Amino acid sequence: MFNSIKELVEASERDGMPVSEIMIREEMDRYGETREAVWGRMEKNLDTMDAAVEKGSTGDGVFSQTGLTGGEAALLRDYRKNKVSLSGDVMLEAVQAAIATNEVNASMGVICATPTAGSSGTLPGVLTALKRRLDLSGEGQVRFLFTAGAFGMVTANNAMIAGATGGCQAEVGSASAMGAAAAVEAAGGDARTSAEAFAIAMSNLLGLVCDPVAGLVELPCVKRNAIGAGNALIAADIALAGGTNKIPADEVVEAMRKVGSNLPVSLRETGIGGLAGTPTGQGFRKTIFGK
Amino acid sequence: MSQNYKSVFDIIGPVMIGPSSSHTAGAVAIGRAANSIVGGAPDAAVIRYYDSFAQTHKGHGTDYAIVSGLLGFEPDDSRVPEAVSIAREQGIGIEFVEEEGDSPIGHPNTAILEMDKDGRKITVSGCSIGGGTIEVRRIQMDGYDIRPGGLLPILLVEEPGQGQVCEDEVKPIADMLEQAGVLGGRNESRNEQKGTTMYAFDLEKPLTQEALEGIARHSSQISYIS
Repeated sequence: MFNSIKELVEASERDGMPVSEIMIREEMDRYGETREAVWGRMEKNLDTMDAAVEKGSTGDGVFSQTGLTGGEAALLRDYRKNKVSLSGDVMLEAVQAAIATNEVNASMGVICATPTAGSSGTLPGVLTALKRRLDLSGEGQVRFLFTAGAFGMVTANNAMIAGATGGCQAEVGSASAMGAAAAVEAAGGDARTSAEAFAIAMSNLLGLVCDPVAGLVELPCVKRNAIGAGNALIAADIALAGGTNKIPADEVVEAMRKVGSNLPVSLRETGIGGLAGTPTGQGFRKTIFGK
Repeated sequence: MSQNYKSVFDIIGPVMIGPSSSHTAGAVAIGRAANSIVGGAPDAAVIRYYDSFAQTHKGHGTDYAIVSGLLGFEPDDSRVPEAVSIAREQGIGIEFVEEEGDSPIGHPNTAILEMDKDGRKITVSGCSIGGGTIEVRRIQMDGYDIRPGGLLPILLVEEPGQGQVCEDEVKPIADMLEQAGVLGGRNESRNEQKGTTMYAFDLEKPLTQEALEGIARHSSQISYIS
């Protein structure tokens, strides 16, 4: 078991294996399962993610019961087809897939929590873009999820992944950092570069609060996943170019934990502060729940 | 570091009905744990929410999620959003209470389930620690007050007698868990009136069907919460 990102990188260098392989073997060892069983379970998660992206991007898209969110993945799909986007199609493909997933989540559809439901669009966003950009094989896609999972486990055990304990930085921030690390491996980078990408991505979202309007996983959660996916691709590119975060990944995780613990309760998934506390946010709460 | 998250599938997963892993999927898991402890769906349940759960349970679908678990549904069961009406149709009394004080078990995502089943009163205190992972921190039933380590799986074993008598009774089970390499922590609670003891074993990983059957041969009074 690796207790830090440093240990994860060292294990990868010592054993000459990518992080995904270390995670697969750790899972097999701990639970006494075959490679096929572990791999198959991850494939099922991947299928769930693909289905949610597809569902949210088809026709007019999906809408939540409250009407606060929905249909914007479909808008992005049409925009990509008909206009010249500002940030380029790889980026917008990631954004569309991330938003599609979280719109499905908000409409009580089936998603795979990565690491949480509120942040479930970030990894599929990154992965959907990489599929086409890198011509990533099915095997490469499954490995992407194992690598993301390995970095996520260290984050969850050393800090937190719940908005109620650490704010959105612990959810979308963690998901984005996990996605950045996995994107590096998918692009052929080594574990050390993955760790840099992870550190850059998490540093960029440090302090992000969890302020769901009316306590619903809709505003601003859906679009925060678009930022999570975009941030992951940017951080991965910076790291692959040779950029470094200077503050090591494990120290960034510790900083995230401390920032999370110090966030006031009103900014930790209580639907009280931040955007939830704005007049319009309060108005939505009143309309939906009558208080 | 803590070792709350042991499997990659705690991080990549679960596959679930939205919208929140802690407030929906985790809430299903708390309900399912209560279902295992009670031994099926309860006859009635009062669900008390604290902190973040009290503030946001409506928006996160925590109500239908906990009730889904009480009915024994999986987190990705398409009936999850309809669970409250399904339970009421089955005649199960369901009540939700938003508590104002701090969580008695010290976590912002706390639900305390007070249940009736065949005349017994059973209270399960659970919290959802993130990503769908939960802890059961307190179980009160049949004159016992059990405080397990929290993380699942948990094996409850009731033995007649107290002290060395039931130590001897429970030893083969503890040995089996030790040999299987799954034994984490262990707690116990005594019922002075009945003169019996309840053991709570915290397990490092799930028991195989075979192991569970082996344990059942030693004691008929077990419940396995996974």
